[in-house]
Amino acid sequence: MNELKIEDLSCKRGESKVLNNINIIIKSGETLVVKGRNGSGKTTLLRILSNFITSYQGKVSLNDLSILEDNLYNNKFNLIGQKNSLKDNLSIKKNLELWDIIFNESLDHAKLLERDNLDHLINRDVGSLSDGQKKCISLHRLNYNKYEFWFLDEPFVYLDEANTNSLIEKINRFNENMGIVILTSNINLPKKFHKEVNI
Amino acid sequence: MLNLIKRDLLLSFYSSANFFFTVSFFVLILILIPFAFGTQSDQLKLLFKGVVWIALALSIIITVDRIYNADYEDGNLDIIMQKNKTIEYLVISKYVTHWFIYCLPLLVILPILSFLFYLDYFETIQIFINLFIGSFGMVFIANFVSALTLGAKRTIFLKAIIMIPLFVPFIIFGSDAASWPILLGLSMLSFVISIYVTAYGLRLYGE
Amino acid sequence: MYIKINNNHIELIKSANPYLIFATIFVFIIGLYYSLFQSPPDYIQGDSMRIMYIHVPSAWFALMTYSILAGSCVLWFITRNPLFNVVARSIAQVGMVFTLMSLITGSIWGKPTWGVWWVWDARLTSMLILFFLYIAYIFLWQAISNKELASKISAALAIIGFINIPIIKFSVDWWNTLHQPASISKLSTPSIDISMLIPLFIMTIACFLFLVTVSLIRFRLVLIENKMLRTIN
Repeated sequence: MNELKIEDLSCKRGESKVLNNINIIIKSGETLVVKGRNGSGKTTLLRILSNFITSYQGKVSLNDLSILEDNLYNNKFNLIGQKNSLKDNLSIKKNLELWDIIFNESLDHAKLLERDNLDHLINRDVGSLSDGQKKCISLHRLNYNKYEFWFLDEPFVYLDEANTNSLIEKINRFNENMGIVILTSNINLPKKFHKEVNI
Repeated sequence: MLNLIKRDLLLSFYSSANFFFTVSFFVLILILIPFAFGTQSDQLKLLFKGVVWIALALSIIITVDRIYNADYEDGNLDIIMQKNKTIEYLVISKYVTHWFIYCLPLLVILPILSFLFYLDYFETIQIFINLFIGSFGMVFIANFVSALTLGAKRTIFLKAIIMIPLFVPFIIFGSDAASWPILLGLSMLSFVISIYVTAYGLRLYGE
Repeated sequence: MYIKINNNHIELIKSANPYLIFATIFVFIIGLYYSLFQSPPDYIQGDSMRIMYIHVPSAWFALMTYSILAGSCVLWFITRNPLFNVVARSIAQVGMVFTLMSLITGSIWGKPTWGVWWVWDARLTSMLILFFLYIAYIFLWQAISNKELASKISAALAIIGFINIPIIKFSVDWWNTLHQPASISKLSTPSIDISMLIPLFIMTIACFLFLVTVSLIRFRLVLIENKMLRTIN
């Protein structure tokens, strides 16, 4: 049972304050949707949660232990940023191979891609794909399954309806397995998740 | 750390043109010597000992964009930094792979080139030792410049302006065969500074 | 101790500006008068050594400015007081001008004295490298679009450059020791006449005033640029 607690979180980027006194508690099996206008600090929040930004006021703690002091924390979350982390000049197969090494986990990519109807792309160069296809491949990283948290930055951008629904389904399944999902989104989602916060 | 080395080597193997580009660049700069100065063997020998350092410096400068920039721009650096909480390990593994991919091929080709320029075995070994030690120092410098300038995109000239003054001591001591201990000292000093500054730069850009 | 700049200070700097500019020009004219008319020609070098009266102060201040720049960068990292960053950024351009000035006047002096425009010795070469360090500092700051980041990164570079300068000096010295002894030690010997020290002294003050004036103007501009005024109020 995990509990991620954000208390009185404030953060300054340059001269402007982007986050102001944020208080959130998320428990295992829940999904948090972070909403807000452009530049309101959604990405900043995710980067604080994933320990990239370390200078802020307030406290972020996992099970009452600050994430800055928790040495195992970095291996618990899977962050999918807005950049797709793919090498344009390599084929998808080679990209996935490189990911396997970084994530230290080898998956049966052929099978997983077939499930998501992406298997016909496997030998194509990433540079030749559309933005939506790149996004799908980027979300393929969610299949690495050692993680207790998913931090998704604008996961629904570029996705068509079918892919949106299958992603929502994946999130639900992850929640059922007691995983925590925090995602940012600007658009109204077809489904209501457990919690929603406006920043 | 080993994961990262393995991944970088595999990546450079997949885009293996990089090996040949730097080696070809290095060879081509040295080939220009006889075209510019004629083919007197004494003169060629003398010039080769100096120009080989300029060629090494330039070869390292043109690779500086490949160390962290590509990973930073496509977002892989985020994953790598997440998986390696101690950034110093990440930096060290980058030193190893960068040296292995871009400097080792130059050192391998060096003996062949030095025979083209009429150097004898003894002189070749001397140059080889100096280049071997000096190339590490230059790689350390290239790494921290790359990490510091991640936010300045497409500015290879600016990076060259930053790096060349830092290369000056290496080139001065490198072209003298007897001063390899000083070169070793310089490399160690640049390692100490570089590992600290590179980690600092990466943390800043991670924010 | 935390020094804070408020609007009163800015107003003070602004109102002091015309006086400083006037004082700089005034002292420069006196200095030029003394160095061109009131001092005797050198008995070996003749009239050509008069350029030393501008060369020596600008070389001093080029080095001093870089020391201040690197020093304030170090202090900025230690104290986290943004004032030091502003100081570093406002002083850089003046330092670059001094370096360029000392290089140009040096070669103008070198031509009649040594017969060549340039000599590859340690001091000249490290001065040239210093010029590129200034360029790297200024343009790296401009190249990075996130300005808060840019300040930190270029400050780190300034400190590395400060470490690099003595290394280069040492290595070029080792590489080539063909040069006459340093001019500072030449000045400290009693052989120099008091009539030559006076114009040098006045020109040094003039250069110092120039440094202060331009830095303060830049200081104000940088503050406005940083929009620090808004956060301080």
